[in-house]
Amino acid sequence: MNYDAIVIGAGANGLVTAHYLARAGKRVLVVEQRHAPDPSADIGWVPNAIIRDLGLSGGGLRIEEPDPWITAPLPAGGTLELSRDIGRSAEAIGRISPADAAQWPEFCKRMRTLAGVLERLYLVPPPDIESHNARELARIAGLGLYVRRLGKQTVIDLARILPMSIAELLDDWFESDVLKGLLGALGVWHLKQGPRSGGTAFNFLHHLAGSPAGTFRPPRSNVTQTLEGMKRVEVRRGNRATVLAKNGRASGVVLDKSGDTILAPLVVSSADPRATLDPVAIELDPEFARAVDNIKARGVVARGTLTLDGAPSYANLCVAPSLEYLERAYDDAKYGGDSAAPYVEVQRTDGNRLELHVQYVPYTDGTANVQRHQALQQKVAQLLSAQPGQVRLQSPDEDEIQRGATEGHLYHGELTLDQILFMRPVPGWSRYRTPIAGLFLCGSGTHPGGGIPGAAGRNAAREIP
Amino acid sequence: MTHYDAIVIGGGHNGLVTAAYLARANKSVLVLERRPHVGGAAVTEEIFPGFKFSMFSYVVSLLRPEIIRDLELPRHGLHILPLESTVTPMENGDYLAAWGDHDETRRELYRHSPRDAEAYDEYGRLMHFMAQAVKPILGMVPPDPTSFAPSDLAGLLKLGKHFRGLGGERLHALVKLMTMSSADFLDEWFETDVLKATKSASGIIGTFLGPRSPGTAYVLLHHYMGELDGVFRAWGFAKGGTGAVSEAIASAGRSFGAEIRCDAGVSKVLVRNGRATGVVLENGDELHAKTVVSSLDPRRTFLQLLESDQLPSDFVSDIKRFKFRGSSGKVNLALDALPSFTCMPGVGRQHRGAFSISPSLEYVERAYDDAKYGEFSRRPYMDIVFPSMIDPGMAPPGKHVMSIFVQYAPYNLNGGWTDAKREAFGDAVVNTVESFAPGFTSHILHRQVITPLDIERITGLSEGNIFAGELALHQLFFLRPAPGWAKFATPVRGFYQCGSGTHPGGGIMGASGRLAAMRILKDGT
Repeated sequence: MNYDAIVIGAGANGLVTAHYLARAGKRVLVVEQRHAPDPSADIGWVPNAIIRDLGLSGGGLRIEEPDPWITAPLPAGGTLELSRDIGRSAEAIGRISPADAAQWPEFCKRMRTLAGVLERLYLVPPPDIESHNARELARIAGLGLYVRRLGKQTVIDLARILPMSIAELLDDWFESDVLKGLLGALGVWHLKQGPRSGGTAFNFLHHLAGSPAGTFRPPRSNVTQTLEGMKRVEVRRGNRATVLAKNGRASGVVLDKSGDTILAPLVVSSADPRATLDPVAIELDPEFARAVDNIKARGVVARGTLTLDGAPSYANLCVAPSLEYLERAYDDAKYGGDSAAPYVEVQRTDGNRLELHVQYVPYTDGTANVQRHQALQQKVAQLLSAQPGQVRLQSPDEDEIQRGATEGHLYHGELTLDQILFMRPVPGWSRYRTPIAGLFLCGSGTHPGGGIPGAAGRNAAREIP
Repeated sequence: MTHYDAIVIGGGHNGLVTAAYLARANKSVLVLERRPHVGGAAVTEEIFPGFKFSMFSYVVSLLRPEIIRDLELPRHGLHILPLESTVTPMENGDYLAAWGDHDETRRELYRHSPRDAEAYDEYGRLMHFMAQAVKPILGMVPPDPTSFAPSDLAGLLKLGKHFRGLGGERLHALVKLMTMSSADFLDEWFETDVLKATKSASGIIGTFLGPRSPGTAYVLLHHYMGELDGVFRAWGFAKGGTGAVSEAIASAGRSFGAEIRCDAGVSKVLVRNGRATGVVLENGDELHAKTVVSSLDPRRTFLQLLESDQLPSDFVSDIKRFKFRGSSGKVNLALDALPSFTCMPGVGRQHRGAFSISPSLEYVERAYDDAKYGEFSRRPYMDIVFPSMIDPGMAPPGKHVMSIFVQYAPYNLNGGWTDAKREAFGDAVVNTVESFAPGFTSHILHRQVITPLDIERITGLSEGNIFAGELALHQLFFLRPAPGWAKFATPVRGFYQCGSGTHPGGGIMGASGRLAAMRILKDGT
């Protein structure tokens, strides 16, 4: 069988690219190392363009937008529950801080406007600021004009807020620790940074893409399962694929277990840039190789599941009682240790599966440490008043061993200001190409990054000739 | 009653620069200084008999060369003595030294890591180039991206062209410098921890950030912009202490006809019909002028000298939001002998340069952690110099002065600063030095400990922030001090700002003062 294109990885981005290529008439093979599909939910905004283009609604796509979208325990007992309805949330906030309740509607509105700017940037390739091409310059000017039309306040907010820390941003608006804790947690998602680190306000806005005003947790979906279930492209499982390249040109992939070589003139990798490019480093310019090595992808999140006897009352539980709690959790990770008191979030998917996000559990040396694992399990169980046996976790080190994702980073590169837009995955190579002809990247390591399943895959597919 | 063309509030270096430039353009100018002498935070004081200290700011390098030239400062007594070396003692008794002689520095680095010695030159070239690339921006009035005025659009276009002219690689380096933490940025270049530590230390000076906090790489660059006689990255002392810089600028101003009055604190700016008409002194006297310029920081300029109903309310809230968060202190010591450091025993050429107490990245980061939660660092980062080694006039014969810049000492200390806390802070500093230079404590004759609260009380800098407002990305350029008001004018006609709290801000640079004077002259006083 001859293929026009091989896509490495059957995650959301890999499958989206494969579907777009198939739609354009290419014979596509997807190679995936895992034997069985990953049962965990896709977290993040699935852009409408993808749903429409690939007909996902007919394929059984389910998007979950829980309401209330967060439940946070209060120190004095009881919980703070925030709903999709801004007025209802304001009412709930008013019970702990009338001042914060008064701020809530305006905060929701301002953040929505800024997230809207990001959405627009995310559905197209990043602006090429070095370009002398008249069309690209016109496109950049168009983006600039669009932002300015949103008003003076938006321009100022963008310039002021993006480089800020989420702690500073929230301190500007609110006084309640619980409220700032649950909002601030979103600002540090998958970052080896604390809420007081600059740029975490951007990370916060990034994760608002696709959510309506007043909802500060991204939706969850089964987009990966849907794409695979549609059987529009062939997926071969059970082998890790390595790019085959010679004389600056990709010619296919080699499978690790079977040893098979599969040839194709086009290889698109949704694996992380370092894992994709390291094996063919000899083909790369040393400067480029160094830039790839310098991608910061320091995994800090342990993911897993919680098994409870009955269904819990919440849809999304957040244990991050204050910004200081988050900052101290980060301090431990800064010096290489797991947080003594980690930030934990439990997300219930509609199959009553409870998924865990535990931060900070920093990547160490790529080896699994049983003692460390047990200590973490115990800690998380205690925080959730569960038994250690009910908690199953996978640390970034374990994730790297199993999935090969560099340093176990889910987003294949932290979403810090120096690693976004035309700087992602490496400066100057943000158009999904690589210096190796016929080899493209389409994973979370490329623009717009993780947390928006399929967006990078779609952008990449549209750049592939 | 005398009527001036301009009254400048505050006789710090920026106020003096503005006054000198205005006087040079034949304006009648009066500078009003609250303290008995000019200088603000750039003063030399004989704190103990025979021992003179650059009480706050202690090194000179950022002072813009065009100001030195325009105001002929050397003719007015400015004489810079180079500060050549930096020695960083390590906890294992070893050290890392950077000497005035480039080849010697490379050999020293090679001892720690051949790879880093290799990278060092390339790094230096890049930083040098980046500093050159950013310099024109320091001398430029920031265009307002929210405005549709032709001059702003032209400014933005010019800025865009300037950046694109750098070329891809350097443009990317600039983005990294603007957004990364100094530790991450240095990680891309070097492997030697102590090298990264001592370099990143210059990225945290004056900020309430640690070496792992994004945004500190920019401060790294800011400090690379130092320029003495056209030589980049040269640091030095002013002969006679930092106060001599202020004196030289004041003397230049006087030679152009400016009048400088000390012990003359200003309590209010007089505003009639939305226009500044003069000032009221603390003693109740009124003085009148066509233009009033404040060199005080934004908080004092707008929230103290004016009534809030004289300003638009969103501007007032922007100013209230402007962050100061002073984080540094100073310990000035009179010594009967120079300390001998374990890593380089005895007294020698090392004492003619700086000692940087930044033995590892973790050390500096942990110092920051203390401050983050409201405590002063138990083992702080310190930059130590001995001005009397190069300028013997600073201390009696055979004796020495030791200046210790200390970070972190948060302005908002848990429980507040008290005399006891100040002394405890001084003890932490002395004990930490002692651990690197055993026996040093016995040579201390006198000690002065300055906390951020003291800096605020003495100089008036809000929260003791040495840059008159944090040099954070969201407080720079067209956002300094507030969006829409970064061009030295204020919402009150005839009232201008010229201090370090305006673009480009920070260090003994004088650029704010000069740009403000240009703006005032352009508007016509």
